[in-house]
Amino acid sequence: MENDILLEIKNLRKSFDSLEVIKDFSLQVREGEVVSIIGPSGSGKSTILRCATLLEKMDGGSLEYVGHKLAWDNDGRMEYADKKELKKCHEYFGLVFQNFNLFPHYTVMQNITDAPVRVCKIPKEKAVQKAEELLMKLGLEDKADYYPHQLSGGQQQRVSIARALALEPRVLFFDEPTSALDPELTGEVLKVIKQLAEAHMTMIIVTHEMQFAREVSNRIVFMEHGVIQAMGTPKELFEGEETNERLKEFVGKFAV
Amino acid sequence: MIDSTMLAQLGSGMIRSVEIFFLTLLFSLPLGMLVALGRMSRFKILSAVIKVYIAIMRGTPLMLQLIVVYFAPYYVFGLNISSGFRFTAVIIAFSINYAAYFAEIFRAGIQSIPVGQTEAAKILGYSHAQTFMKIILPQVIKRVIPPVTNETITLVKDTSLSFVLSVTEMFTIAKQIGAKTASITPLMVAGLFYFIFNYVVAFGMDYFEKKMSYFR
Ligand SMILES: Nc1ncnc2c1ncn2[C@@H]1O[C@H](COP(=O)(O)OP(=O)(O)OP(=O)(O)O)[C@@H](O)[C@H]1O
Ligand SMILES: [Mg+2]
Repeated sequence: MENDILLEIKNLRKSFDSLEVIKDFSLQVREGEVVSIIGPSGSGKSTILRCATLLEKMDGGSLEYVGHKLAWDNDGRMEYADKKELKKCHEYFGLVFQNFNLFPHYTVMQNITDAPVRVCKIPKEKAVQKAEELLMKLGLEDKADYYPHQLSGGQQQRVSIARALALEPRVLFFDEPTSALDPELTGEVLKVIKQLAEAHMTMIIVTHEMQFAREVSNRIVFMEHGVIQAMGTPKELFEGEETNERLKEFVGKFAV
Repeated sequence: MIDSTMLAQLGSGMIRSVEIFFLTLLFSLPLGMLVALGRMSRFKILSAVIKVYIAIMRGTPLMLQLIVVYFAPYYVFGLNISSGFRFTAVIIAFSINYAAYFAEIFRAGIQSIPVGQTEAAKILGYSHAQTFMKIILPQVIKRVIPPVTNETITLVKDTSLSFVLSVTEMFTIAKQIGAKTASITPLMVAGLFYFIFNYVVAFGMDYFEKKMSYFR
């Protein structure tokens, strides 16, 4: 039996002023899947994540999590779910940013526990216990009382992953989680994401790390000019016969 | 010479100055935050009105504003002005004037916080109010301490302007005694008072700044 569909994006369109950034984007993600989105700079990868996480308004199409419609096109006008439904969004998705966006005035522990306690009304002790488990898993058990500025970039990114996981979202988005890091620090973050993949966390990852995308993904989406140019398993895309010319060129630049 | 009656008189003036100082801060800091939020509001009319208000407060002399506030009840509403209104008028004028300056400081502070902070909070499910109070405001407070300290020190010295409404604060009394006794000693004492007052204010703000240095 197939797993549940956790995320369904249909015919997403998005323009900034007169610039049409996403022309027509559809994606269905099932529980436990890891989907990577690759493509040249400016192809609209971040915009897709920002629309899917409601940071950006869509111009057309629909968005659905776990069977709950959050946004849909009603005869050319976008409509969004009501406040009560939107308040539950953090149960549906989390987002890990390129530049972490940790809260600088909170310790690592507070960064991870504040939302569960304040937003989800989880008892403090339970939230702390959960955070300790997460920190242990991510190799940060000795950093609970540190402030973000006292940590390396790789550690900060792992904390921001822990912060996202603490709310137990069904889907976790990553927008180039390692591109703000020094090369020697990317490994520790990629390792954590791999661990999550092995634990069947549903993830959608925008990345320039081709080798990583190949290893970790069930599916890879190649974007260019606001449309999906190619989509398939890593095998199909990287080793298949009929690979898209542009994809070949793009992947070639990364010398996989 | 310095004698005890003079010191007693100066002392009562000093208390007035301190009162003006603290009451002004008490009202103008929160009011300044509201004005800053109004200035950044999406409602164009509100933000335009507030822009004009800030321009007037910053573009005209505080002394004139004191006089206008004092006579407003009479000229605008035709009410009789009791002399007890003098002190109230001073506090109102100072508060709305300083709120304008603080508002611009707070606005710059709020806008200097990376938008990623708000976006991260939104994804984690924080409401607008929670995001502002718990995530943005603490960072803004830390950033605005130095410019707020500057305004606060100016305020200490500006309290002497309330003489235009005959509120007998420190400086007014010093001038009166000085004129009566043909001596500059009372003015010197007053000067020393302002200096020490400001020193204490700066010390307090410095302590606060250090306390906030646990994060960046
Ligand atoms: N807020 C915005 N206002 C105007 N244009 C924008 C905005 N955000 C993105 N764009 C434009 O949309 C296009 C797609 O941007 P996007 O950030 O989605 O690309 P990307 O694929 O994530 O690129 P990169 O790999 O460099 O991160 C770009 O041309 C960008 O300039
Ligand atoms: Mg991007």
